[in-house]
Amino acid sequence: MSKQPTIAEHLEASGVSRRSFIQLCSMLMVTAPAGLALTNKKSVFEIAAAIGKTQRPSVIWLHFQDCTGCTETLLRTSTPDVAHLILDVISLDYHETLMAASGAQAEAALRSAMAANAGKYVLVVEGAIPMKDDGVYMQLNSKPAVQVLREVASKAAAVIAIGSCASWGGVPSADPNPTGAVGVDSLITGKPIVNLPGCPPNPYNLLGVVLEYVTMGKLPQLDEVGRPKFAYERVIHENCPRRAHFDAGRFAGAFGDEGHRKGWCLYKMGCKGPVTHAACSTRHFNEIADCWPIGAGIPCLGCTEKNVVWKMGTFETVPIHLATPPDTYPPIYSSVGGATVGAAALVGAVAGALGGATYVYSQRFQSSQEAGAERIENARAQAEKKED
Amino acid sequence: MSTATLTNPPGIFPPAPNQNRWERAVPVYGVSVFNKFFFLLVGLAILSGFLTIYREAVGLGPASGMNDKFGWGIWKTFNVVVLTAWGSGAFAVGIAAWVFGRKRLHTLMRMALLTSMLAYACGLCLLGVDVGRPWNFYWVLFPWNWNVHSPMAEVAICMSVYASIPLALENIPPILERLWHFDVRLQPVVEKLEHALHKFFPFIVALAYLLPGMHQSSLGALMLLGGQRVHPLWQTPFLPLLYVGAASFMSFGCVAGVTMLCCLVWKRPIDRDVLEEAARITAWIIFAWLVIRNLDLLFRGALFTAFHPTEYALIFWIETFLIGYGGWLLLQSLKDRKLRTMFLGYTLSSVGGMLYRFSPTTLAYMPGPKATYFPSVIELLIAIGFASTGIAIFLVMVKLFAILPAPVQEWHNMALYFRARGPYSNWTKYFNFGFFGDTEPTESD
Amino acid sequence: MAITRRELITNIAKAGVPAAVGLTVGAEMLHAEEVPIPSAPLGLLYDASLCIGCKACEAACNEANNTPPDTSRDGLHQAPTDLNVFTRNIIKLYKPEDGSQSSFVKRQCMQCFDPGCVAGCPFEALYKDQDSGVVHWDGDKCIGCRYCTIACPYSVPRFQWLGLDPVITKCELCSHRLAKGLKPGCTSVCPVGAVIFGPRTALLLEAKRRIKNNPGRYYQDRVYGETDNGGTQALYLSRVPFDKLGLPDIGPESGPSSTLRWQKRIYSYFALPAVLYAALVTVIRRNQHGHEQEAHQQEKETGLRAQI
Repeated sequence: MSKQPTIAEHLEASGVSRRSFIQLCSMLMVTAPAGLALTNKKSVFEIAAAIGKTQRPSVIWLHFQDCTGCTETLLRTSTPDVAHLILDVISLDYHETLMAASGAQAEAALRSAMAANAGKYVLVVEGAIPMKDDGVYMQLNSKPAVQVLREVASKAAAVIAIGSCASWGGVPSADPNPTGAVGVDSLITGKPIVNLPGCPPNPYNLLGVVLEYVTMGKLPQLDEVGRPKFAYERVIHENCPRRAHFDAGRFAGAFGDEGHRKGWCLYKMGCKGPVTHAACSTRHFNEIADCWPIGAGIPCLGCTEKNVVWKMGTFETVPIHLATPPDTYPPIYSSVGGATVGAAALVGAVAGALGGATYVYSQRFQSSQEAGAERIENARAQAEKKED
Repeated sequence: MSTATLTNPPGIFPPAPNQNRWERAVPVYGVSVFNKFFFLLVGLAILSGFLTIYREAVGLGPASGMNDKFGWGIWKTFNVVVLTAWGSGAFAVGIAAWVFGRKRLHTLMRMALLTSMLAYACGLCLLGVDVGRPWNFYWVLFPWNWNVHSPMAEVAICMSVYASIPLALENIPPILERLWHFDVRLQPVVEKLEHALHKFFPFIVALAYLLPGMHQSSLGALMLLGGQRVHPLWQTPFLPLLYVGAASFMSFGCVAGVTMLCCLVWKRPIDRDVLEEAARITAWIIFAWLVIRNLDLLFRGALFTAFHPTEYALIFWIETFLIGYGGWLLLQSLKDRKLRTMFLGYTLSSVGGMLYRFSPTTLAYMPGPKATYFPSVIELLIAIGFASTGIAIFLVMVKLFAILPAPVQEWHNMALYFRARGPYSNWTKYFNFGFFGDTEPTESD
Repeated sequence: MAITRRELITNIAKAGVPAAVGLTVGAEMLHAEEVPIPSAPLGLLYDASLCIGCKACEAACNEANNTPPDTSRDGLHQAPTDLNVFTRNIIKLYKPEDGSQSSFVKRQCMQCFDPGCVAGCPFEALYKDQDSGVVHWDGDKCIGCRYCTIACPYSVPRFQWLGLDPVITKCELCSHRLAKGLKPGCTSVCPVGAVIFGPRTALLLEAKRRIKNNPGRYYQDRVYGETDNGGTQALYLSRVPFDKLGLPDIGPESGPSSTLRWQKRIYSYFALPAVLYAALVTVIRRNQHGHEQEAHQQEKETGLRAQI
């Protein structure tokens, strides 16, 4: 195995300006200000130094049932330098879309990359893996995808499942899931797996995870479904730029209406922001502000969440479980309690009945007393008669 | 109490000088109490039973009109605070009879005890429905866990103990009496029980006067912690004393008034002497109470609020009018010797007393400027239903047992009806026939 | 001459009454301070003049106590109108119609030194911690009588009106968080420090310092809760009158001490009731004797069994 050059050496050799590199490092700082050990440094220069010292990581990228969107997201940066820069920082040793080779040469490239960096390369998987009918629905060189995945993953240091398809099945797994598509972590065990769901996810998520791993030697903190917390800890709703409108109760009702044109909250149009874990609300795409669905006036679909996208309707509203105070205040004293008509009528009826009965019965004492005296007299007379 | 020495054998009695003299308690005979009114009461009781199940199933919110500011509804403030006071005859009439030696009132004692028992039983059962976590009431059995400074603890514990021990024991004699007359075989057991009761009588009865004195006043002390939230026309450190006083004249009204009503409905003779004695006592309690209350208002400087044009002043005046006019009518009835006047006097003063005891808990309770309370229909129906249960049981009890006072002649007349025990006597051949005291069967049996 | 039992009881009654009176009044004087002051009272200082009404404390309180938010207003937003079973603290707005100075107010349990709720609770379900002074509710003792909701002058404890296991809810100063070394939920999130947590003595000093350094800013230059209602552990500073914010002017005597004084004295050691009982027994026995004699005579004359 040849000694790989460090990233700094490689960049210098490639003629990439230090300025561009520092810009990339500052974007990483924005991506994960406190979530990664790599970016948790006092200045961007320290980050640049840390990255610069590291050997260029070897990355093998496999495609399965994918649309190549996750690759596109890596490349669709607004300034071409950064795209190239990414490819200069990581050594993309096998990538079916980007590499020039094809056929047997591509296969050979894969074999040599695996051999050269065995145990050290990072495997990035894009796309779901079909399992139905022995996995015939996606084959690479006549081998089922699952077999390819297992072979390549067996020698990888870490596996990153980029995109919802690789994380949990994605689009191919939507009902009725005719191919039996599943995500990487259903098939691979024994290797550290990072899921980066999204359709597509933000490329800086990938960059941050890869660099953290190769620079600091460990993966970032993951949540219970293997997503890095620095990017997937919070839901869209928590940091959404339109949150103030939600809190104030200003909602868009339909595409193009007044609220929609004013950029009001899209919750009532079915935005899944409150239940979707992703960082899109703070880190927009293509390095352009507001370049993300909600920014464009489209309600979030929840593309990172297995139970949301492809399971709920696009315009179906989600229940909110967060406590969020709105823009109104209760007065010092609020009104509470009150009489209903029925209750008041019942009280009136009872009072009336009792009062009326009292009046009526109070009149009858005289007659009752006389009747009682008569009765006793009769009974006494009867008793006397009996005795006689 | 005794008439001239009689030489006649037991059987026929010459009429006493006062033909209507109440000498004995006699069941209601010759008249059925199971009329339409009774079935209306039973219907209301059953309805309230179903509604209680609903309340237990869903919680207090949907079943009542209580809210966060008015945590107490009519179940507590009316059925417990008001009706148990109105039905505390065992306390007031009992003290007048046993402690102050008003012997004539002894004839009213059984009525007083029965009405008290029913008022307390129904009130406490409804209290069990009203509290939110009744399964924790077992802490009442551990005195070291009582918060002895809390009026609520005092009320809950004292009322439970009172109703279950002294009051229940005091209500046993009419039942024992009936058992004694019902079957000769039971007589030794009954006599033993009666003897035991008799031996402990002063201790039971003293407890039966101490405990209500304590809890009827503590019912007043409850609203002391309401502080400024109870209107100054009612809020006073003397609230416990005034509550006990109100309970006293109200319960006289209950016992005498209900007795009068029963005699009216079932056409039984009324002993004016007893009632006049009771009326006199009640009137003087009322006037003493009014004086204390108004002096207290005067010295606290709160009397002027009675002249402000507010609804609280209106309630105060209605209360004062009802109680005062009721007392005046009672005194008037002693002069014009009209039973109607007396009955109205008892009724008005009782209603006034009820209003007085009710006001600090609800009408004059101001927890917030915009907070109001009115009972919901379900709440009202349950309250009415529980009260109806009490009245229905009362009707059954006065029919079965000797509770209502009557001249001794009635006892003998009743014996004819008491005799009708066909199936039982045929089956057991054990029945005490004839005028009581005989042990031999007469020819006709 | 031997003393009869009756005489003995009578004598006890005669001697006992002054003894009991002396005991109760004396006991009262001996107890200099009946209500124990907690050893290290904790509290909150809320400065209404700093509060911006962001209501982060409402949301944080729900999270800290794991209660669902009260979204009954529109199903979406947490917008309670008053304290209730879901809401242990609430921000209310005082906005006078004439446009003069308005103010927010944070209402939660005042953690009084002599709480009305504790004084009223029959089985001590509400009790005051001896050290921190926090008033806790114990569901194992509560019978749900709701007397606390009436006895509290600030109307703080709230009953759960729906359901089969109703609870009483009120702020307990996030004791579960204090045990872990954290601060209460509301004070942890207040962005402007309008509500702060700490030992009451320190908070009182801070409040007085603020008053001193800002003359004329605070209403009557005083801290509400220093002596109000006998002293509370939740202290308030405000620009507008306290009663406008719903904090009643109770005075320095707590509800229980001013109203239950005679109740406590009369029932002290149950002495007076016991003496009264002895007296009643004596009197009734005497009367019973006479009544018995008459009843026997009547029985003989009429042949009818006496009715007790």
